[in-house]
Amino acid sequence: MINARTIVPLLAALGLLVILPLFLSPNLLNAAIKMMIAALFALAFALAMGQAGMLSFGHSAYYGLGAFAALHLMRAVEHKLFGFPTPMIPLAGALIGFLFGLVFGWFATQRTGVYFSMVTLALAELLFTLAPTWNALFGGESGISTIRGPSWGINFGSDADVYYLTLGWFVVSAWCMWAFTKTPVGRLALALRDNEQRVRFLGFNTHVARTLIFAISCLFTGVAGALLAIANEAANYTIFSAQASANVVLQTFIGGAGTFFGPALGAMIMTFFARITSDLTRSWLLYQGLIFVLVMLFAPQGLGGLADLHARKVRTNGWKHLVAPYLLCLVVGLLLIAGLVFVVESIHVVLTDAYLAKRAAAKGEWVPYELFGQTFEPFSPVTWAIPIMLVAIGSTLLPVARRITARAWLAATRDVPDEPIAPSASAAPVAPPS
Amino acid sequence: MSAQPSPIGEPVLELKALRKSFGDTEIIRGVDLAVLGGQRHALIGPNGAGKSTLFNLISGHYAPTSGDILLNGAPIAGFAPHIINRLGLSRSFQITNVFPRMSVAENLRISIMGRRGHRLTLFRSIRSLSAVNDEVDEYLQNLRLTRRRDSLAGDLAYSEQRILEMGMALATDPAVLILDEPTAGMSRDETTYIVDLIRRVTEGRTLLVVEHDMSVVFTLCDHVSVLVYGEIIASGEPSAVRADRKVQEAYLGEEVH
Repeated sequence: MINARTIVPLLAALGLLVILPLFLSPNLLNAAIKMMIAALFALAFALAMGQAGMLSFGHSAYYGLGAFAALHLMRAVEHKLFGFPTPMIPLAGALIGFLFGLVFGWFATQRTGVYFSMVTLALAELLFTLAPTWNALFGGESGISTIRGPSWGINFGSDADVYYLTLGWFVVSAWCMWAFTKTPVGRLALALRDNEQRVRFLGFNTHVARTLIFAISCLFTGVAGALLAIANEAANYTIFSAQASANVVLQTFIGGAGTFFGPALGAMIMTFFARITSDLTRSWLLYQGLIFVLVMLFAPQGLGGLADLHARKVRTNGWKHLVAPYLLCLVVGLLLIAGLVFVVESIHVVLTDAYLAKRAAAKGEWVPYELFGQTFEPFSPVTWAIPIMLVAIGSTLLPVARRITARAWLAATRDVPDEPIAPSASAAPVAPPS
Repeated sequence: MSAQPSPIGEPVLELKALRKSFGDTEIIRGVDLAVLGGQRHALIGPNGAGKSTLFNLISGHYAPTSGDILLNGAPIAGFAPHIINRLGLSRSFQITNVFPRMSVAENLRISIMGRRGHRLTLFRSIRSLSAVNDEVDEYLQNLRLTRRRDSLAGDLAYSEQRILEMGMALATDPAVLILDEPTAGMSRDETTYIVDLIRRVTEGRTLLVVEHDMSVVFTLCDHVSVLVYGEIIASGEPSAVRADRKVQEAYLGEEVH
């Protein structure tokens, strides 16, 4: 429902996104573009996954096809075969994504559940294997590249131009996907997720319906891929990798597949996280995996689910109960993370070739190693005391923090049931027989 | 509610020499059955007689091994469930089969928007389909579920879920409605209530009901067929069937009031 409570934060967020480039360094501006593309990809993926229950393990196929479609169109414009406005290039991604979504989806949606996932995975792997050997279409292992042509009086040379182009497509696509949830097919998607068999016995050809919904998801995935191609002016076969498919699954679950904007949130956060941490440490994939495991264990509804829970249950002035406990939880979490990171990074340094070479030079002695600009002795008690202290303090405070937070939660929340209306305890079906 | 007219007294649903085997086991062994327009037809039989299999054949869940199924004279054997539904035959399920994470109103709306041709409508908002939404309200009222309209179907009491499930089958506006044990697992009061409800909301439709509860059969139905080991051993008016020697033998040890 459109009302003031949803429209005001949305407009505020949009306004913020519009003025954002004024404050960002070139590096961060580029990060912002990639985050929006990832968010759009996740929203499109979640349209099939969260709403219709179709867990695709091969969405990189439509992402990559969208990207290559855009690149070929840009190359045609570059070589003056015909003219096409640069801002409309993502339409090529949309078209190719939709068409391949229809064709591949027709096969994949013959099956449900894990078999569906396996078919989507196999179809994406097919492209991943085919692409490096198909030079004309995918440019072999090095891929293809092109340049953004100027159009509509904008030269699209700067990242700021690309940012606004991406923002425009993100907003339009997100709105379309939101509107989709309000259409008859959008409602049907929820029914298919809940109970596909029942839908069939109500007169629906569920295979056709699932193919259509899958193809719509692939359409917006193609737009995201095209935006990536426009931003990078290049792509190669690795865009089809299972890693890319897995990423969007992880991001969607971390963000919360059950909410509309959760997947976008998850994708933005994880893309930013990857960008920051991949420069700092080679263990960043380990940390990313840990985040996923922690979210699945302790907040399986994802970040969006948590936000939704707070929006529904926390009273207007309930936040004053929650601020201090949440800060305490943050401190405890940071202590534990710091201890863990210290151990992981130490192990990592000790296993590097550089360190092994130093040890060899010192005749196998455990020489000091460098970490965070400091020097540590591998077997000095001081070195070991750091993570042990951090983890010990953190784990002592953890039960305390949990207890305090639980109490604050009770004080801060309304006594409303989890769902719109609680099942009546009386269970009386029904008015007494007349 | 508008009911598709059933030609009273004419066979609406006919099974002819219907057989179904799973591997070497023949579950349905040559069933001939005619359900006449406007009839309230009960299908009874001991456990394992093949009643649910027969329903699954009629509704398109399984294709028969041999034989014919005619709906209004046209063959439907082996058709997909959604085609059979569109041809005017709708079923409910023995186990509760609703959309648990959608509201009661939305459960009914799926049936109604489908029947009204919005099976793949993409460029209209669901709220703008006022004919659909009005009919949802009408069904809610008839099923006496109005005060539950925004509850999640999964949160309803069991008997309410069964009513909703039947309502979803009914809302596709079928000429023939087949109900698989509509009162299973219900208390006496709930059974009385739902039988009364079924009678009222299925007015003018042809009904085929699998039912274990004999008192339900005798209050709701005007015709009874008895299925034993995949064959119909008796068919006729309830009182005649009750007096039938073969039926009494088949139910030896079970109550036939």
